[in-house]
Amino acid sequence: GSADQKVKSKLKNPFLKVEDRRCRYRPFYLQLSSFPVVNYSNPRPCSPFDVEKKNAHGQKHIHNKQRNPTNSDREKRPNQVPPKHKRRKGYCECCMKKYEDLHAHIESEQHQKFAKSSQYQVVDDIISKFSCDFLELRENTPNVKRRKCNV
Amino acid sequence: MRDPAGEIGWVVTVGQPTLEPLSPGVTRVLEDEKDKEEKSPLVMEAIHLDEKPPSNAENSFKKHESNKKGALTDIEKLYQAVPQLANVFRIKGKIGEGTFSSVYLAIGHLRGGREEKVALKHLIPTSHPVRIAAELQCLIIAGGQDNVMGVKYCFRKNDHVVIVMPYLEHESFSDILDSLSFEEVRNYMFNLLRALKRIHHFGIVHRDVKPSNFLYNRQLQQYALVDFGLAQGTPETKVELLKIIPSETQQRSSAYHKSPLTMGSQVTSPTSRQLVHQSATKTANKRLSSISQTQIKQGHKRKEDPDCHCVQRSVFGEKNFNVRSSAFQGRSTVKQPRIMDIPVRKLSVKKKATSVVNNGLGKKAASSTQAHLTCDCYAKDSVCTICLSRRQQVAPRAGTPGFRAPEVLTKCPNQTTAIDMWSAGIIFLSLLSGRYPFYKASDDLTALAQIMTIRGSRETIQAAKTFGKSILCSKEIPAQDLKKLCERLRGKTTNFDNSAGDVQMHPSQEFPLTVGIGNVSDSAFHASKKHIQYQKQSTHEDGGKEKKTLQKSSDPKGWDRVPNSAYDLLDKLLDLSPATRMTAKEALLHPFFRNVKQ
Repeated sequence: GSADQKVKSKLKNPFLKVEDRRCRYRPFYLQLSSFPVVNYSNPRPCSPFDVEKKNAHGQKHIHNKQRNPTNSDREKRPNQVPPKHKRRKGYCECCMKKYEDLHAHIESEQHQKFAKSSQYQVVDDIISKFSCDFLELRENTPNVKRRKCNV
Repeated sequence: MRDPAGEIGWVVTVGQPTLEPLSPGVTRVLEDEKDKEEKSPLVMEAIHLDEKPPSNAENSFKKHESNKKGALTDIEKLYQAVPQLANVFRIKGKIGEGTFSSVYLAIGHLRGGREEKVALKHLIPTSHPVRIAAELQCLIIAGGQDNVMGVKYCFRKNDHVVIVMPYLEHESFSDILDSLSFEEVRNYMFNLLRALKRIHHFGIVHRDVKPSNFLYNRQLQQYALVDFGLAQGTPETKVELLKIIPSETQQRSSAYHKSPLTMGSQVTSPTSRQLVHQSATKTANKRLSSISQTQIKQGHKRKEDPDCHCVQRSVFGEKNFNVRSSAFQGRSTVKQPRIMDIPVRKLSVKKKATSVVNNGLGKKAASSTQAHLTCDCYAKDSVCTICLSRRQQVAPRAGTPGFRAPEVLTKCPNQTTAIDMWSAGIIFLSLLSGRYPFYKASDDLTALAQIMTIRGSRETIQAAKTFGKSILCSKEIPAQDLKKLCERLRGKTTNFDNSAGDVQMHPSQEFPLTVGIGNVSDSAFHASKKHIQYQKQSTHEDGGKEKKTLQKSSDPKGWDRVPNSAYDLLDKLLDLSPATRMTAKEALLHPFFRNVKQ
């Protein structure tokens, strides 16, 4: 590379730079406003690296949900997990494709084709070795009558 | 009665319990990271710590009140997606949600009529079948023993796969962290290491060891390492399917779908993907037959646990919900399981790591077609268009930033079971310091900076050399004495000890009540006495005496008598160099665990 084309920039302190010792890959780095410090005054069990957030009350606000530590309180806890926001982007390993909306992708023709393909034989082969020790519930009367599972 | 909220007595603990209100899933975070890297190659802005760290797998669910409706909809959707479930289980509620799966609590009826709770793990339908199968294989081969979660059953309909696992009611790590006695911590670590020894024995690198993936039932003293959704195999793994998931795809992140420019003539050979998508099933099938035999043998060999809360491995001959006629297939072929017959090779991480690293580097250097223009930025505080034009190194980095080992954070391509040991060390650090999460970082280099703050910058840089990485740090930070660090963070000396020096409490800060008994009482004017005590204790650590001294201890939780061996073990788990880091097998033999009741 000719020198005039080269654009060089100096890293701003404090920074951290990591590179492959053989220089075959792109270095990666981080420039911080301040280097982390162990903050002993954070209340337990907060991370010593938790940064204090300015709070209206002038109080240190290190959010830490002190949840009920006792067993007796556990029943009262919310057990439900709220659903994720509907649009989830990600990558489909089956279609080898990124998607912007999980649901939309799963419904797509390409994915549906894969979903119904024989690709899952590898899973089925394992499943076929399982046994089930659960009884089948009879429809509509799930609690009372049951018979052995026979699907 | 369908309202699950009132019925479930448990909550899946979360990876980052301090997250609120919404934690982005891993995918999103990785996307964000990627965007950053791609959009501003020259200046990667400081990442603010108030960004939510990503959490993984089924554990990154947001712990909100409410939204029962939403959850119910999810349950209905699950019944719809996998109708067989309705025949067997009553799904009570969603107990975990992550990037790659959701976990539900369900109740089924055993043949005897007894009810049994199970955890249903619904995998994201975008998971590749081979990955799904590999996760199942991990559970089958390594699970069900030594605190490793096993599998009871599995359902599939098209792309929807639901893994049925025994349900272990468990504590939230952050809830109990403050109240654990020292002895409980010792037992916790011992049991975690047992699980790790087991999976490492089978050549499984878990990659996401953290409290939320290690279920702990305090009362029953039961433990379970869960979630093989990110697992990788060592070169000699006994989980055959792990071999055919190329490690690059392991991370399921955007990292391996970088633009062609950054992918370049990457480690990811075109064949590796092909392999997964074309020949994987074939290969897998071939291999599976031997695996299933393994299963049979183990099924018989295994000691039957009278408490069937423990994992039940499949034993053939029972009904199968998914496959009508094939339940017995393979039975006739029961002969010597090939895999199990191979004598267990020692997973000597120590020797392996070094050589593997070198090999890996050599190979890649050779295969690299790109001409490497040199610049003078190496080990200097600058970057230029030349070095930045190089392709990015791709290395597995699935997991949670605060638990990632230095070699993961620095993208070392060859990662071993040692990365799990580091994560175990981080858990131990949390337990000893009373801090969770200990590291709080939303990106790899911030996590690395925090590690350097604890373990020292020079030490980190030195260790990184052994795995082929140069770290340049603008600031020199001394290593901390782990004992002092933990004691101080635990709060032994806060407020009550002037000799502790610069410990400053915010005036308005209420002293955490929960610290109470354990820590206030053992306030540190006895510091010197205690030191003597440690020594005494370590000279005769035989059971009975130790127990007696524990009872006499001023702190009923035993935190005033943490033996030095604890910090010695911690030091060895948090070894910055993967090649010398302690293995699970070695750790179990560490003096810290002398006389631990098993």
